[in-house]
Amino acid sequence: MAILPMKRIHIYALLKDRKRIMEMLQRFGTVQIEDNLEEDEIFLKKDISGEKQKVERDLTLVSQALDILESHVPEPKSILDTLNGRRELSVEDFERLGSKQDDIRKMAEHIKDLDRTIAECKSEIHKINTQIEALSPWSSLDIPLQFQGTRSTCALTGTLPGELSLENILDKLADMLPDADEIHADIISSGKDQTHIFLLCPRHNASAVEGALRSMGFARPPVSSGNIIPAEQKTKLEAERAELERLSEKSKNEIIQHAEKRDELKFLYDWLTMRLERLENKKCLLESKYTFIIAGYIPQKEIQAVTSALSSRFLVYIELNDPGEDEDVPVLLENSKFSEPVEGVLRSFSYPGKGEIDPISIMSVFYYILFGLMLSDAAYGLLMTIGCGICLLKFKNMESGMRKTLRMFFFCGISTTFWGAMFGSWFGDVVTVVSSTFFNKTAAIKPIWFEPMRDPMRMLVFSMAMGIVHLFTGLGAKLYQCIRAKQYKDALYDAVFWYMLVGGLIIFALSTEKFVEILNLSFILPKSAGNAAAVIAAIAAIGIVLTSGRESRNWFKRILKGLYGLYNITGYMSDILSYSRLLALGLATGVIASVINQMGAMGGRSVAGAILFIVVFLAGHSINIGINLLGAYVHTNRLSFVEFFGKFYEGGGSEFTPLGVHTKYYKLREESNHG
Amino acid sequence: MDNLGLIFALSGAVLAALLAGIGSAIGVGMAGQAAAGVVTDDPSKFGKVLILQLLPGTQGIYGLLIAFLTLTQIGVLGGSPDISLAKGLLYFVACLPMAFVGLWSAIRQAQAAVSSIALVAKRPDQAGKAIIFPAMVETYAILALLISILCVTGLGGLNI
Repeated sequence: MAILPMKRIHIYALLKDRKRIMEMLQRFGTVQIEDNLEEDEIFLKKDISGEKQKVERDLTLVSQALDILESHVPEPKSILDTLNGRRELSVEDFERLGSKQDDIRKMAEHIKDLDRTIAECKSEIHKINTQIEALSPWSSLDIPLQFQGTRSTCALTGTLPGELSLENILDKLADMLPDADEIHADIISSGKDQTHIFLLCPRHNASAVEGALRSMGFARPPVSSGNIIPAEQKTKLEAERAELERLSEKSKNEIIQHAEKRDELKFLYDWLTMRLERLENKKCLLESKYTFIIAGYIPQKEIQAVTSALSSRFLVYIELNDPGEDEDVPVLLENSKFSEPVEGVLRSFSYPGKGEIDPISIMSVFYYILFGLMLSDAAYGLLMTIGCGICLLKFKNMESGMRKTLRMFFFCGISTTFWGAMFGSWFGDVVTVVSSTFFNKTAAIKPIWFEPMRDPMRMLVFSMAMGIVHLFTGLGAKLYQCIRAKQYKDALYDAVFWYMLVGGLIIFALSTEKFVEILNLSFILPKSAGNAAAVIAAIAAIGIVLTSGRESRNWFKRILKGLYGLYNITGYMSDILSYSRLLALGLATGVIASVINQMGAMGGRSVAGAILFIVVFLAGHSINIGINLLGAYVHTNRLSFVEFFGKFYEGGGSEFTPLGVHTKYYKLREESNHG
Repeated sequence: MDNLGLIFALSGAVLAALLAGIGSAIGVGMAGQAAAGVVTDDPSKFGKVLILQLLPGTQGIYGLLIAFLTLTQIGVLGGSPDISLAKGLLYFVACLPMAFVGLWSAIRQAQAAVSSIALVAKRPDQAGKAIIFPAMVETYAILALLISILCVTGLGGLNI
């Protein structure tokens, strides 16, 4: 209905009560704290960045802990959760849990530690696995891998590329070192890519032998077995791995055990979020040694509740005054249950700026009508109405945003049903198709008014007439705004002249035969009325030429600007034509629905045909509802934003954002009383 | 060559579905890439960017609509497809607005949608306005649809 009147509020209180006062204001959620106080030598703003950082760090910790729990013990989720809304928590529970916050924070840290342990175990196990893999070809070697040899012998343990036999190796060595004898070699294991060898030679020609081997591609093993034999080392590593696995498993179980305390973590998350919001607001306060000042805005109707609650519990002084003329007062809207749902659409455009009215109530009526005209299928409308209605009745605890959206589609559904019935569209022409395909009869639901498909011209005229009504209502809102601001001249120049011009032209057109013929109308206005309308339009046109450029002092410039202003008549033309989308989108729904029905009926009159029909019917109409719902939503928004708002509304106001409880998981039971 | 009229009429119907469909496919594809990019960063924006992705998809549906309307009018779907050359040519021409405007507007709309998706990525609170920019382009597809519908339905009653 209206923009709620706002008051400036100043609260002066003692510093010792600050925390409790802020908490109370947060629960009320009706005061928007402003950062517009000036510091002086006594009153200073407090630096909260350190405190804020700490809270933010804790928030990250808790959300990480919740993520960890979620990855180990996923919470069952369903679409109904969004409808159910947040759980309620009484103030007592809230305070009880609040006193446990240190324990909960410790638990979050613990969960994070456990998760880190698991990750560390995992990477350690991975490392061990690589080692075991590297050791396994050596498992039959019965001396340590790093064995260097004895006093007079030298041991060379390593790999040669390719699959080689012992003979091969010895032959090659003999070729390269013809005088070296006393070489003992063993093949430990061999595979396609590598041969693992152990070679013993006298120490005096060890370097020559190693050089020869290197030229064959010899490489030392990549792992070490310390001073025990590889097989033993492998067992040792396996034992280590088992130990790590046990630790990892244990940590995992411990995390799973913590899952039942997830609610406490969620609580802490909310608690910290609230604390953060208080902190954000705290930096706007002025503090002296023993007192502090809050400045902000409060809706007039909430003043009583807030002041009485504050002054009954604390020593406070509250000062209220009217906001100044040029102040950017935050906007809070209050509307009837019927209009309120469209607030979301308005918010996505912009809130009313200075001197503008709250357009919600007129906007909502047209919004529902236009939406219905675009979707215009009675069965789709009924589905929407019933679906939204059931959800609204069944889920009492729904979040208010969700509730508004559903309520909006509920009303849109009613309008869709109405227009669908007027135009005789029930799932397109399903009755006709089913009766002729399966029952060999001709039946049809008769439209109450007419069928746009058979008479598109009539629907086009109706769409444009609807557009003219919409646009003229917008112009009316402009008129009202000007009169309310006592700008009577502007009202005459910017609204009345346009009414006269556009209205006069339309009446004149309706009195000419040619125009009536094109539109296929059944009536024609008398010539005299047309002439009178033409005179009125001409007067308005002259008026617009003279006044559109009224801010210019120079008459020549002024007339030029005036002519440009008159050119705006083409804007009205295109605005009116724009409403032809009502016809196009309405037809689109109907025609696609008939296409679906016809495709379904292609199976003919048989059991298989009936099954085909049902499948095509269900899938096809679901898609059609989805697509056309989107289309109707987008284009209703467009008609509201561009054509309708273009006439009177610019927006630019800022939304009222009070200090409040904006939690993710729980809501305070008390909260519901205050919005 | 008695059926030349039918050939032209059918070509018109097919062209409407074909070109508008190609336009929408390109458009939805472009917007989809941009949308996927946004969702990589922030999965919670899925719903908002999905709507923007779907916007250039309507032209394909309008094309289908005109094609279907023409097919029923000329009697290809149940009926006797017997039309004169002149009438066939008229049907062909009637389908052209939807075919060409459908093709181009879907692609241009997709470009606007891609920019709007970037807008939503940076400022999710402006999603309402972001939808309007691509929707402005759609107006011309709707106007073309309107003319094609009026022509095709009007031709049914014509006796040439």
